[in-house]
This record gives sequence, C-alpha cells and structure tokens, in this order.
Amino acid sequence: MFKLFPSCPACHSTHFIAFLKKDLYRCNRCGHLMRISARRRLGMLLDKGSFKPMAEPLVTTDPLVFPDYHDKLLEARKRTGLGDAIIAGTGRIAGMDLALAILDSHFIMASMGAYVGEAICQLIDLAIERRYPVVITICSGGARMQEGIISLMQMAKTAASIAQLQDHRLPYFAVLTDPTTGGVTASFAMLADVIIAEKGSLIGFAGPRVIAQTIGQDLPQGFQKAEFLLEHGMVDMVLDRHEIRAALENLLMLHKTRPYFHQRSPYERRS
Amino acid sequence: MIRRVLIANRSEIALRIIRTCREMGIETVAVYSEADRDSLPVELADQAICIGPPAPKESYLYYQQILSAALSSACDAIHPGYGFLAENAIFAEACEAVKLTFIGPPAGIIRKMGDKTLARKIMKKANIPIVPGSDGPIANISVLNEEAERIGYPLLIKAAGGGGGRGMRVVMEEKELAGAYQQAVNEAQNAFADGRVYIERYLINPKHLEVQVLIDKQGNGVHLYERDCSIQRRHQKLIEESPSVCLQETERQSLCQTALAAMSTLGYSSVGTVEFLWDPLSREFYFMEVNTRIQVEHPVSEMITGIDLVRFQLEVANNKALPFAQKDLQKWGHAIECRINAEDHRQNFRPSPGKMTRFTVPGGPGVRVDTAAQCGSTIQPYYDSLIAKLICWGEDRPKAIVRMNRALYEFRIEGIPTSIPLCQWVLSQPEFLDGSYSTHFLDAHMNEVSHV
Repeated sequence: MFKLFPSCPACHSTHFIAFLKKDLYRCNRCGHLMRISARRRLGMLLDKGSFKPMAEPLVTTDPLVFPDYHDKLLEARKRTGLGDAIIAGTGRIAGMDLALAILDSHFIMASMGAYVGEAICQLIDLAIERRYPVVITICSGGARMQEGIISLMQMAKTAASIAQLQDHRLPYFAVLTDPTTGGVTASFAMLADVIIAEKGSLIGFAGPRVIAQTIGQDLPQGFQKAEFLLEHGMVDMVLDRHEIRAALENLLMLHKTRPYFHQRSPYERRS
Repeated sequence: MIRRVLIANRSEIALRIIRTCREMGIETVAVYSEADRDSLPVELADQAICIGPPAPKESYLYYQQILSAALSSACDAIHPGYGFLAENAIFAEACEAVKLTFIGPPAGIIRKMGDKTLARKIMKKANIPIVPGSDGPIANISVLNEEAERIGYPLLIKAAGGGGGRGMRVVMEEKELAGAYQQAVNEAQNAFADGRVYIERYLINPKHLEVQVLIDKQGNGVHLYERDCSIQRRHQKLIEESPSVCLQETERQSLCQTALAAMSTLGYSSVGTVEFLWDPLSREFYFMEVNTRIQVEHPVSEMITGIDLVRFQLEVANNKALPFAQKDLQKWGHAIECRINAEDHRQNFRPSPGKMTRFTVPGGPGVRVDTAAQCGSTIQPYYDSLIAKLICWGEDRPKAIVRMNRALYEFRIEGIPTSIPLCQWVLSQPEFLDGSYSTHFLDAHMNEVSHV
C-alpha cells in the first residue's frame, strides 16, 4: 500500500516519502535500510534507461498442486507486476555493460522456484555469450517449498551455471541484501567472486531462532548480520546502500574485459 | 488565511519573522534546539517547542520533528527563514502533503533553481545572459581549443564534479591553455575521482550584484532594486549595499527589469533574489543563480524602499495581490549592511563562538540592528557565526558610510573576537570609498586583513 508518510520498521520514526526516496530508503534516524522492490533497486544501480530485460524464461506452474500456491502466485503477480521473484537483463553501470539480476522480496519472499533458477541460468548463458560480467542482487527466503524437489534442484543447477561462468573467466559479483537465507545462500549467493553485503542485512542458511532451539544455546550478539559475517570471513565487504553502485563501478572497472578474457579457459581446452 | 506560523529557524531571522507576524496579528510558534533554550525568539514567540539536541541534523534539519511540532501546535503555515530547510524542495512538498502552507515559492521552482546547471539552462532560454562557457564537459584537446576560441580569454577551467577551488585554473592566454587543462583534469581526478572539466570566461574584477524581487501569486511583480554584495570571502558575504555605485541609471533599469521579467516568466511567487556577476570592463551582467528564500541581507533593500519584505512574503502566501506596482516604488538614499560575525579574521576567519560579556548595540537615526543576541548570551558553535546585522541608512552614500562608521564605533562586544574591526577597516579603504571593489577584494587583501 502506498503511504505518504511511511515509518521505519526498526525505529518507528516517520518519514516523508520523497525524502526517503532521495535517501534510497535509508532511515535518516537509525540508518536502517528498508526493503525495496527490485525495480527500485534497478533504478539505484544502473545508468538511467540502460536496462534491457531478458525474455521471461518460463511461466511458473504448480507442479505439486500445492494448496493455495496457485492463488498465491496470481496474487503476487498482480501485486508486483512481475512474472516471478526476479528481474534479469542487461544494463550499464557508468557505461560498462553487465548482466544483472535482482530478486524481489515482495514476491513470495523471493523464494527460488523453477522460474528464478532458470532466469539465473539463462542470464549466465547470455553473459557468457556476450562476455559480460554478472551482478546479482540477492534477497530470498530460500527454496520455494511449494515447488518441492524442483525448487531444491535449482540449487545444483544455478551452482553448475556459475561454474561455467568461472570457466569462461567472467567475474560474478553478488550483493546480498536483507534477508538472504536458505537454499539461495547455499547456492549462487555464496559462490560469487566478490560478495558485497548491505549493512545490517540478515544472511544465513537456517534462521537464528531455529539454530538457537536446535543447539539449545544463546547466539552471539549480531549473529548472522552482515557485519558479523564480515568479521568471520564469509563476505568481502559490508556497504551502506548509497555506496554499492560506486563499489560495483570500481569492481567492474578493475575486471573490465581484457584480452585474456577472450582466451579459451584451460577447462574448455581439455574438453 | 494564515493565523499561526511555525518558524523553522533560529536566531535573528526567527526574531525578524516574529516581529512582522506580531505586527500583522499572526500568532507565532518558535522551535528551538536544546542549545537555544534561552534565546530571544523562544522568549518572544507566542509558543516555543523544543525539537532536539544542538546538532542541526538533530533539530533544525530534522524535518519530521518540525512538521509534527507544526501539526501539534495547530499551525497553518511554516516560515523556513534562510539556511536549514529554506531551499529544500522536498521539505516544501512535505509541508504541502500535510496541508501546511510553505512560505516561499512553489516546490517545483525551488527544485529547478536548486539544480544550478538546470537553472542556467532555463535562464539561457529566457534570454538572460550567462557567463559564456562550454555547454558541457570538455571531451578532448581539439574541442577545448575550439571552445576556447569561441569564448575568448581570459578563461576559467572548472571541475564538473565539485567545487572549493580544486580543479580550477585561470588561463590568461592561449599558450597556457593545454598545460592548465591537463593540470585541472589531474587535480579534479584526484580530488573528486571525476576528471571532467568545463570552461567559461573568467571575469577579472567582477562585482556580485543581486536583484531583489517580490512577486504575488496573481503574477504581479516588483523589483526592489539591486544590492552590491562584492565584499565577500568564499561566498560568505560581509558587507552589502544598495544601490550599487557602479551602475548608471539605465544599466540599473535594464538589470532589474531583466531579473524581474525572468522570474515572472518562470512563474515565481514570493520573495526571491537573482544573483548576477557584473563585469566592469564590458559593463555586462551574467546570471549566476536564483535564491528562492528571504536573504540575510534583505534589510538593505527594505531600508531604501520602506517595504517590509517578510510582511509581503506572508501576504503572498495568503494569496493576496500586491497593493502596489513598480511605479509606486521609489528608492530613497543609500543603505549599507555590515555582518557582525563571531569570526577571527586574524586567524583565517576561524569561528570564535563563546559568551559575550558585553553587548551594547548602536542606535540613533538611520540605524537598524537585527540581532537575537543580548548581553551575556552565548554564540553557539553548532550554527553559523552571525551575531548581528548592522544596517545604516543615509541620504547618499557618503552619509551612509559616515553613519556606519559611527554605529560600528558604538557597537561594543566583549568576550569574543568579532568582525567589527574588519568592517571598520573595509570602510576606510579607497576601493570601498570609490566603489570600485570587486569580489576578489578580501582575498586580495588577505595579508592586511589578518593584521587588522
């Protein structure tokens, strides 16, 4: 629902929507980064008007005839205007081409089903074909349980796809945002060459409550927060939202396709 | 109809607004930070609401607090003063969104004029001369040579990505061009990680002239003549006067009319200022920017025209038409303003906040002092260092200068260093007395200034 004066979910302070937009949905009181739609994030990252969406990879179906899944899908599609929980395509940052995918938590918590997995694989195929670096902005509740084994299969499938990307010596940068959990963390999120995490985001496999109950112990302060993961070597940098575009720009500049990228990789020569 | 106004500012401008509101029978609500608890506006307003700790970000810039203070005290308008949120288009929109009248021009215009490059483009379209320059960043050396040829020397190379004098180079003649360009690009690249530069004509001894305009929502507008604000350092003005000695009557008419016409076509309403650079060699003026607020130096124009600008700012916000036209306005005499700042010009203009153990203001005919300070009050380190504005009026410029000297002599502040001696020194300089001073005046005399 559109609110003219939304409040911060962390500190409950009120914000005027236009100020919030200017601040990239960062609370100017407590610094909390609010969850934003994929389209909005697209506007924050890419050069204006440079985005070219990929064709829809498939239409999400309901293979298990899972209770309420069909209705849920229809509702989410209508509300977000997306085919499923991901936008993928090509675009430019500071004039540099890249293949980009952004997950949208407003679509069934950006869980990964056949659609999301296929979109990522097709994006990587496109990146290999055009020799573009890949950037994926991730948030997810994990694998989509309503699609059962098909959704779990996407973990292996996306991981294999990323291995291909590495064989072709193309860089892959991941931006992990709040929350990145479950099967997505356990597959393509943690496989990036450089992993950027947004300040304060929750990143993990199982949620903190589940872990606390399983091991019967109190969890350390800031457990599974981006800063905690940085300290423990799981991510490469923790950035505020307004710093991410510049960081990607630097990374892209550093890894700008150089002649040696066009050589065939050792892996390819063997096969 | 505005019946109660919240003043989203502090110090002398808050007091200035309260004074006019009281004369108009409008109730006032002051907001203050914890540091300003004992200030005069808090005492004199009908109501006062504390909005947070001293840091501006936590109080006078904390728009959520200001809006809720306005709503909870049942105000129907907000006067932003100058600085803080005064030229923030989004704040103006936020006021509209909660049905508070923002006392100033429409938000759309604040936005357009806040974008300095866009403002220049708009003014260029409206046939206002702007300093000749390249339309965008210079792509390479051959473009540079072409553009330089077209614009003419001397030239100024400026960084597109930042300010503060870095990446800036003055080029007096063609043979220096290539070298200076390379230096400017390198410097800009190092300072702002953005090597783009553009070029424009460099004015050797420019004057900073600005035209005060007042336009109502029905589209009737008047100008209140120009102000000469060339005594400045790093865009901080120190002394302003009106009218400017350098203009002849026809030039004055053309400058003021151009400014007024431009603002009218823009759809501007409320008070505003159009700033120009004036080149004494070619006697031409070039548009710089528009200030969409009441300015610090507005009393200078008030003194020579007898118009209360804040009053008409409120009237215009009330949708009232101006009761006078340009032909009814007459300028009479000459006015000078000296800004009395808590700054130590002997130590590179370092701010010198602190407690004033003596504060005696001048008086007598033709003297106006706008200040919220009193004996024993403290100049806060969190905000700008303005203590008081001393404005003197005289039938002509020499009389105004004599009166200003007399008033500066009477003005006694003890406890902290102030800019009073500096103002006295400037007033004694031949360049000031004959009116030939330019915006470079203070920088050119830095050595002497530090010993005044």
